[in-house]
Formats: sequence, C-alpha cells, structure tokens
Amino acid sequence: MEVIMVDQEKCTGCHQCELWCGNEIASVSKELPLAINEDPQPVPRVHVEGKRFALQCRHCPDAPCITACPNGTMRRDPESGLVFVNEPTCIACWMCVMVCPFGIINPSSSLKVAVKCDRCRNMEFPICVEVCPTNALKLVDRKEAAEINP
Amino acid sequence: MEFIQKKTNDRAAEPFLLKAAEKGISLVWDRYEGQLPECGFCESGLSCRDCLQGPCISHPFRGDQSKVGVCGKNKDILGVHSLLRLVVKGTMAYLDQVIDFAKDIEAGEVSPANKAQTDGVIRHIQGLFETVGPEVMEAFPEALTNRWEATGIYPEGIARDLFKASQKLEGGITGVNETLLWTFKCSLLGCVSQMLQGKLKSSVFGNAAPTELEVNLGILQKEVPTILLYGHFSPVLKQKIAEVGEKKNVSIMGVCTDPLLPPYIFAPVTSYGSQEIPLMTGAVDLIVSGDQYVNPSLQEVAREWSVTIVPAEVLERGQDLGRFAEQIIDQAKKAFDARSGISKDIPDVKESAVFGFSVDTVDMKKIVDAINGNKIKGIALLAGSNNVKFTQDHEIVSMAQEFLKNDVLCISEGEASIALAKYGFLNPQFEMECGKGLSGLLSSLGEDIPSILDFSYAQNGGVTEFLLGLTSVEKKEPKEYPIVAVFPEANRSMDVTKAMWTVAMGVSTFFWPFLPVTGSPKTMEALTAFCKETFGSRFHVITRKMDARTKSTMVIKSLKGEDELHLDDNPWS
Repeated sequence: MEVIMVDQEKCTGCHQCELWCGNEIASVSKELPLAINEDPQPVPRVHVEGKRFALQCRHCPDAPCITACPNGTMRRDPESGLVFVNEPTCIACWMCVMVCPFGIINPSSSLKVAVKCDRCRNMEFPICVEVCPTNALKLVDRKEAAEINP
Repeated sequence: MEFIQKKTNDRAAEPFLLKAAEKGISLVWDRYEGQLPECGFCESGLSCRDCLQGPCISHPFRGDQSKVGVCGKNKDILGVHSLLRLVVKGTMAYLDQVIDFAKDIEAGEVSPANKAQTDGVIRHIQGLFETVGPEVMEAFPEALTNRWEATGIYPEGIARDLFKASQKLEGGITGVNETLLWTFKCSLLGCVSQMLQGKLKSSVFGNAAPTELEVNLGILQKEVPTILLYGHFSPVLKQKIAEVGEKKNVSIMGVCTDPLLPPYIFAPVTSYGSQEIPLMTGAVDLIVSGDQYVNPSLQEVAREWSVTIVPAEVLERGQDLGRFAEQIIDQAKKAFDARSGISKDIPDVKESAVFGFSVDTVDMKKIVDAINGNKIKGIALLAGSNNVKFTQDHEIVSMAQEFLKNDVLCISEGEASIALAKYGFLNPQFEMECGKGLSGLLSSLGEDIPSILDFSYAQNGGVTEFLLGLTSVEKKEPKEYPIVAVFPEANRSMDVTKAMWTVAMGVSTFFWPFLPVTGSPKTMEALTAFCKETFGSRFHVITRKMDARTKSTMVIKSLKGEDELHLDDNPWS
C-alpha cells in the first residue's frame, strides 16, 4: 500500500497542496476562481502547519477511527486498504475526530460531515503530490515510509 | 503535471516543435508545462510581495485563519493591488517607449517630415512629468473628459498619476473602488503616452498609408545576411539600421516590433508566441533585441544556432546611433559568412497583408452610417498578443471568423494584427466569409480592403485613434455605439493597461486569460457593476472555461446589449 510521504527538508510551506486539494477534492465547481468564492467554503483534506506538511492520514492498519465510528461511516477500501469517510451516512458525532491519534480528521461544521484525506483514492495520483513544486510530497510504499520516517 | 493542448495553429511554426524536441531545446510550451500548476494564490491575486515582512497570501480555504497579509491587506485589497501592479508596469512601458523616441528626436538624429508639429509633440512629451497638455486632451470627446474629471481620473502627468497610483501598493487605507479609480487614472496616462507616440511618429516619419507587406517565416531569405529586430526599441535606431542595411544589401525584418516606419518596412517574421522559431530556421544571422516583448529564452536558442544577439537597450549604447547601426550591419555580414555551413530550413509559408489604415484613409462616416443603418451588428476591436495558455492564434482566429460571419466589423492592432495577418485576414485578395452587411461596408470603403483593418500605424495606438475618429463623426461618445474591445490571448502588462483605458473610454472589454483578481469578489464586482455605473462599460473577467466559438457568441450577444444574460453564473455578476 502506498502512502504520502513528506520530505520536510524540501517543504517550503507554500500551501499549494492545501489550495489545490481544496479546489480539486473539496470544492463543487473544481475551478479555482469559482471555488474560492464558494459557500460553504471548501475544506481541504491536507493542512500545512508552519513549514511542515504534518497533517496527513496514515491509513493505520488498526484504525481507531473505524473502530470508534458508530454507524460504519468510516470505512476501509478492501482493495487499496485506504481509510475513507462515506459522507452520506456521517452523523457528525465527531467520535473519529476525538480518537484520531494524529489529529488529521476535520469536523466540517458547515457540511456536518467529518472530512479527511483518502489519498485521492479514485484518482491516479493524489493531487497534493502532483502539484508540489519542490517534490517534497511523494507517494511511497508504506514499508519504505516507515523505514525513512519511523 | 500532464497538460494536453495543441500548441500552435501556425503551420509554419509547427514543424519546428519536433525539431526542438529532437535537439532537446525547450520552447515556450515546454517551459509552460514545467511550470504547471502555476501558483494558485498568485493566479487569483491572493498573494503579495510588496514588502519584506511577507510574502503573504490570503488563504481561501482556511476558515478564519490566514485571511489577511501581515500588514492587513485582505483578499479584496490583494486582488485590486494585483491589477494595479500590472497597470503601473504597463503604463511605464508606454512611457518608456515615447520618452525613448523623443530623446532620439531631441538629439537631432533624424530630420522630421514636419518640423513644427514634431516640436509641438516633443514639448508635450517633455511636460508629461507634471501635466498632460489640454491640447492633447482635446482629442477626447468633452463628455468623456468631463466624466474623467468628475470621477477624479483625469490624467495629470507622471508625478500625479503614475507615482501616486504606485504608492497605493505601499500602504494606506484606500478601498477597492478608489484603488480601481487610481488604476484607471494611471492607465489613461498610458493612453496619452501612446497617442503622443503615434503623433510623434506621424510628424517625424510622415502619415500612415496602407502598406502591403508579407508575413510569416516564408519571407526569410537564404542568400543575403538577415537581421531580425526583436521587440521595442528606439524607432530612430531601427531606421538607421534599415538605412545602412539597404545600402549594404542586408535584409532587415522584425518580430514583435512595429512593422511600418516609412520609408522602411520591417516585415513580421512571426508573432509573439513563436518568437523563438525564426532562429531555428538557420536563416537568421543576427538579432537586435529590445526589452519589451522579448523572451530571455532567445539567448539559448541563439547559442544553439550560432546567432549573434545585439542588445539595443544597454547602459553604454553610445551617442552615435548611425555608427551603432553600421556596427550592427557589419557584424551581421560577418556572421553570415561565418554561418555558411549552417543548413537553412525556411518553410514555404507566407501571406500578404495590408497594414497601416488610419482615420485619414478609412471613411469613418461610412462606418457610422453602417452602424446606424443596422448594416453591421457592431465593431470588435481586437488587441493583445499570444498567450501560451491557449493554442497559439487559435482563439483570435476563431473569434475573428465568427465576428466576420456575423456582420461585426473587426479592427485590429499591434501583435493581434500580426497573428491575424498570418491567416490571410489582412490580405485583400483572400476572401474571408463575411456577413452580407459587412461585405457591403468593406467594399464601400474602397478597393483592396481586407476583411480586417489594421490600425497599428500610430505605434499600436490604433484602438484609441479609431475610437476617437469614429466618435468625432457625430460628436458622440464611444459608449453610444455597439463597440467592444476583445483581447482573446492577452499577455503583457501593456495589454492590461490598454484594456483598462478602453473601459474608461466607455467600451466594454472582454479579456482572456482572466486577470489575477478572481480571489477578490469586490474587485470582480467593481470591474463589472461599478465600471458600468461610472463609465457605461464593463471589464469582463471571464473565469468559466469555454471554447472560442462560445466566447464569440457571448461577445456578439453583448453587442446587442444582452451581456448580463451570459455571465450570470459568476457569483460576482
């Protein structure tokens, strides 16, 4: 299984990943000039904290969010192993938000659903990896990622 | 990032793309792909680098966080400042051109065709720092100048317009609408500079006359040394080079430079988007390069094909332009001999074109009558250069075709004319499909009239000259006629400045690609609603992706006064 890895030496904190994630994944229009003015505001799935792209889903093998979810909204894709939110059934109880050890799940108050990165599971490449101007974001095998970033 | 789009419509340039790929040379299209995705904050006008506490961004997707810059500029101020920054730069470009030209005339480098008129224009240019002479402003309809005075945007010279406007970027508490008015004020100074430059050109080199010439790569010659003049630099130096070149049998042509400088012609070899291609033919021995409209990438291509580059805008150019021109010609001859081993591959693609119509050679009354008699739907002023974000020439050519079919008279200028000339729009022998009313009007204007009239002679000041000529017929304002300005593939800051002053003159303007103001709803609203209220025209910044035909349909509908219907899905209109 491939996960997103951040080379913190290369990350300049330019927020492009966050911006294009907000546009491509979170917005309705998928056109930046329109997405910017959308209401409710699109909620990006990735966040840049300071000069580090720290907040990303690890798609934990034993995911506490899946265990905590009371109605099976938080699911794992059986083929890819990626953890995702089935938004139509989310009841906004925020249990997942509370139990996530990395704090990557966001409560979207306007949409009343939990939002998290699903590593763009339906796309060929995650958009953040695609747009990163310094190649700080990479798609690597989970084992390799664990070796580099234990 | 993967990006698929046909690169150019120019069949002369296209084969060279493969050649460049084989040689491993990057052209403008490759570099654009390497830049993708371009910074979304900058593209939306949500970033600022005006001080050293930043750079700052206003994050559109972060709840209440990171919304304002360190100094407190919010998204609306950031947006309108992005526009102002472009217009300040564009206005300076116009001023640079006119001052450059005037300096060489003052130095007595040429003897003007009309000495008294030249002295008068030079005096206006000299006074431009502190004031714009009332005689210059008399060219505009009184209702227009009164409106400019009432809104505070009447041009008052470099110090009051350009310097003051540029200081808005430094700080202060000016709001969006007021900043936008400063932007208009600044752009009108650009308009005046361009008018003065056109007048100076006519006084020094004589009035415009329609001139037939040939365009595109096929005009390059194998047997004689060839010099290409790139971009803008002093017309006097250009003339000197042509003078010496003629004596010594050196062919002089141009790229992104004014083609008409009587008695000399600098035939356009290609248009802005494919400016690197002429060097790849091997038939160019030397280029003289200005700054405006010249890609720095030329250096690399020139190295590959052993082309000498002589920069015209250098600190140590020397006072004697004649000697400088002699040196350039000698260098070109030497380069021609040294380059005899380099193979020359000149595509057999060229097109005749008539450039240089003016209000003196076109009967403006007939045009006004055609509008009043509903023979034509309106007038589209086509301007702007190529932009790599679009297939080269595709947008402008497709839109022009649609306009002609639908009885819209097209007037073009500058780089837009050169792009259109490559496809025969400026060739009187080439029969374009025109609506019945338009055909009637064009044939009534005289013999040998092409489908599109180029008004570039006044140093690309054709749009303004045409508008003023048209309005003087019935002493009306431009906004009382169905006229739009269209920039299908705009590129440089000069295009933005020009678009701004056309709006201030009451002509609605359609501008592609969208300006970096989309992150600011207030600026977007001001460019439409506020401008409509103030000038009776709109600055259309269209963000929706659409093909060229849809764009032209939208413009034609706007000529009929139906524009609101078609932009209502934008949140700001």
